[in-house]
Amino acid sequence: MGAGQTCPRFNMAVLQGKSLRKTFPGVVALDDVDIQLSSGRVHALVGANGAGKSTLVKILTGYYEHYEGQVFIDGRPVSLRSPMNAFSNGIEVVHQEVDIELVPSLTVAENLYLEAFATGHSGTVVRSRQLRKKASEDLARIGFPLPVDAKVDELPLHEKQRLVIARALLRNVKFLILDEPTASLSLLEADKLFDLVEDLKNRDVGILYISQRLDEVARVADEVTVLRNGKVVAHFDFVPQLEEIVEAMLDSPQEELFPKKEKRDFGDVVLKVEGLKWRNRVKGVDFSVRRGEILAITGLTGAGKTETLKLIFGALKPDSGEVFLEGRKLKIREPFDAIKMGIYLTPEERRKEGLILDKPARENISLPFLKKLSRSLGVISKTQEVQYAKRSAEKVRLTPMDVERQAQYFSGGNQQKIVVGRWLSGNPKVLLMDEPTQGVDIGAKREIYQLITEIARNSAVVIATSEINEAVGIGDRILVMRDGKVVYEVDRSEANTQELLSYAAGVKS
Amino acid sequence: MKTGVREQMANFLLKYGVITALLILVVLFSLTTEAFFTVDNLFDILRAVSILTIVAIGVTFSVVVNGIDVSVGAVTGLAVILSTALMVIWQFPWYWAVVICLLAGAVIGLLNSFLILKLRIPDLLATLGTLYLVQGLQMWITKGDAVYKGMTNPWSPTREIAKGFVPKSFLMLGQGYVLRFGNFRGVPVPVLVMLIVALVAWFLLEYTRFGRAFYAVGGNAEAARLAGIPVKRYRTMAYVISALLATLGGLVLASRIGSGAVKAGDPYLLDAVASTYFGFAVLGVRRPNVWGTVLGAIFVGVMLNGLTMLNVPWYIQDVVKGLVLISALGVSFAIRKESR
Ligand SMILES: Nc1ncnc2c1ncn2[C@@H]1O[C@H](COP(=O)(O)OP(=O)(O)OP(=O)(O)O)[C@@H](O)[C@H]1O
Ligand SMILES: [Mg+2]
Repeated sequence: MGAGQTCPRFNMAVLQGKSLRKTFPGVVALDDVDIQLSSGRVHALVGANGAGKSTLVKILTGYYEHYEGQVFIDGRPVSLRSPMNAFSNGIEVVHQEVDIELVPSLTVAENLYLEAFATGHSGTVVRSRQLRKKASEDLARIGFPLPVDAKVDELPLHEKQRLVIARALLRNVKFLILDEPTASLSLLEADKLFDLVEDLKNRDVGILYISQRLDEVARVADEVTVLRNGKVVAHFDFVPQLEEIVEAMLDSPQEELFPKKEKRDFGDVVLKVEGLKWRNRVKGVDFSVRRGEILAITGLTGAGKTETLKLIFGALKPDSGEVFLEGRKLKIREPFDAIKMGIYLTPEERRKEGLILDKPARENISLPFLKKLSRSLGVISKTQEVQYAKRSAEKVRLTPMDVERQAQYFSGGNQQKIVVGRWLSGNPKVLLMDEPTQGVDIGAKREIYQLITEIARNSAVVIATSEINEAVGIGDRILVMRDGKVVYEVDRSEANTQELLSYAAGVKS
Repeated sequence: MKTGVREQMANFLLKYGVITALLILVVLFSLTTEAFFTVDNLFDILRAVSILTIVAIGVTFSVVVNGIDVSVGAVTGLAVILSTALMVIWQFPWYWAVVICLLAGAVIGLLNSFLILKLRIPDLLATLGTLYLVQGLQMWITKGDAVYKGMTNPWSPTREIAKGFVPKSFLMLGQGYVLRFGNFRGVPVPVLVMLIVALVAWFLLEYTRFGRAFYAVGGNAEAARLAGIPVKRYRTMAYVISALLATLGGLVLASRIGSGAVKAGDPYLLDAVASTYFGFAVLGVRRPNVWGTVLGAIFVGVMLNGLTMLNVPWYIQDVVKGLVLISALGVSFAIRKESR
């Protein structure tokens, strides 16, 4: 059937996956799934952590050699068994874990034309001056400024992502798959992405859009498919009420996301930060947090939230400034010292900073607390360790609930749960959390907020988040950072999202 | 399950590949030679691999923290020359010779970690530099001479004869036997030393939080640091342990030959590295581990022993060794590709 004839538009194309199935030892990740992408339409794919979304993406992008089922483009069966197959069929992807498709030791410019190197289209001799020039020109053309000379491993996460999207645009993309593209973006940056998606639609690109942020789905999607336990449990040719989506996702009705906050009195000041400075990223930050209080720091990515937390934790060395714990001035040289004093941090980049990927979840969870879980001579008590790991895993609803499985085989959201979960069973004086719910589904998010609120009864909690809704929902007090400085501070009761946003963006100051 | 049989085969090879290869070697050699399968010969093999095993366990520590120590051969050699020279030329009691050698080893380990952690030289290059340095020291101690009883003292202006000797007590370490009874010749001391080192290292790495931390540092140093592991301390420890075990290997070697040959430690470097990587594959654990390394070293040792017994000319032995190593490693690593 000539799909081209029946379509009014010249570039009309349809990608269909039929009866797709993928198993891993002990898990059916994807079970008899049908999916269809059409030019100029945004198809949203949603589901809880571990539902099989990324697995479907990997099939469509030729990441797996072995799977069951067949993919068709315009009715023709196509073979998608290697990334090359996917490129040549015009399928591009921005993976949830962006790192896996970039070469960290190469520059932005070199990564942009990676595929050309691989196929030899660039010729054998690579001229770096020309390459740089071409990169700058190409990026300007698509309106995507990036530092072309920077090495990729020096880029922050959201820039890596922009790089991958830019690269897809420069190739001749017909179908673009975005796997949680906004998980590490702030609201404004996400806005830019939505404009881009709109633009791509007009250029007849068919888009598969995956996100845990359902409000985004409502905003960009034309149709919605819901996965649960590897199966399609609902498909809508329109965007339904969000409650309907959540119910299909979790198989239970939606509940209030944020715990109710009773107005309560806070204890003494536990953590106090004065004049913290680091390079040109943190330019003199002061704040204090009391026992029982949750302080939310929000702001655009790159505003210095991550660095501020890392400075307190000893992961970065401050150029100047002081940190006080319960009134005593601290000398923290390494995270080791911070943890000893009861200051914990859940880092932002789970794969790079949080996990030892080829170790089981158990070992990842127990790592900071091995001393407590050991007997004399440092011999680890296996039973205690397993218990501890299981308790933490249950708290965050790890799926599958198997602490012996290697961290790398968990889905993205579940990896995040491991990183967050391991600190939640401890007994911190100060808990610092950097984007704690990034990529986590809305059911588990509730759970995590609940846990944070519980911990905050006896500790001071600082949460860095680029999601303003999260800041307002969980924080007792909210700070806005911009360009390395705290520009606004407000009590939860007086917080207003619009106001926060304008401070974050620099419209107000 | 279409791929069932193939996958099971692959899994089997992955897990038992090295062990199977080892068994095949043993059976092959015992069929073709008569002496091969006796208890005495078994202990001879173990004794022959004891030094290699000790050195290789040290290398394993450096590989566990995701580095590599290639200075071990030179350190082994240094211990041989230094210990014998101390006893023969300078007439130190044997125990002081041992202590001084171990101290020298520890210093070299610290030097390696200084180069790697403070100067940020990549592990391979830093330890390569140390290799040359230590080899140079080794020559310098005796001005390039071998050390033996009755040698002329290279440092004496009148070229007198050195008066010291290597005492019996020291020779025990490499030549002695313990637990002898009846017909049984006893367990060679080097084998005992090797077993103790292996047991302690295995226990440390597999059952203690220190071992967990070593592996965590190797698995993802930044994540380990953010989980409160003092990463630099562990990397330093790994290199110190590596140098100390190389020194211990050198002491055993010196005791076994009873004199100090120059560059006697050199061959141990490559064999130790090979054993360590061999150990990756044993039982399919896919990470450096002590028992793997021990089996790897035995494998290499058996191969050498067998080849000699088969009267394979010495000039072909390396070729055969290379072929066997490549095929065994090839099998183990080729099938470990992820299920995609
Ligand atoms: N390589 C692997 N080996 C074993 N199991 C795997 C592997 N990759 C994925 N899985 C399992 O397959 C299931 C689906 O995972 P997938 O990554 O597709 O989930 P997801 O819907 O993308 O979740 P998230 O929202 O957390 O990203 C999960 O149970 C996961 O643990
Ligand atoms: Mg995913």
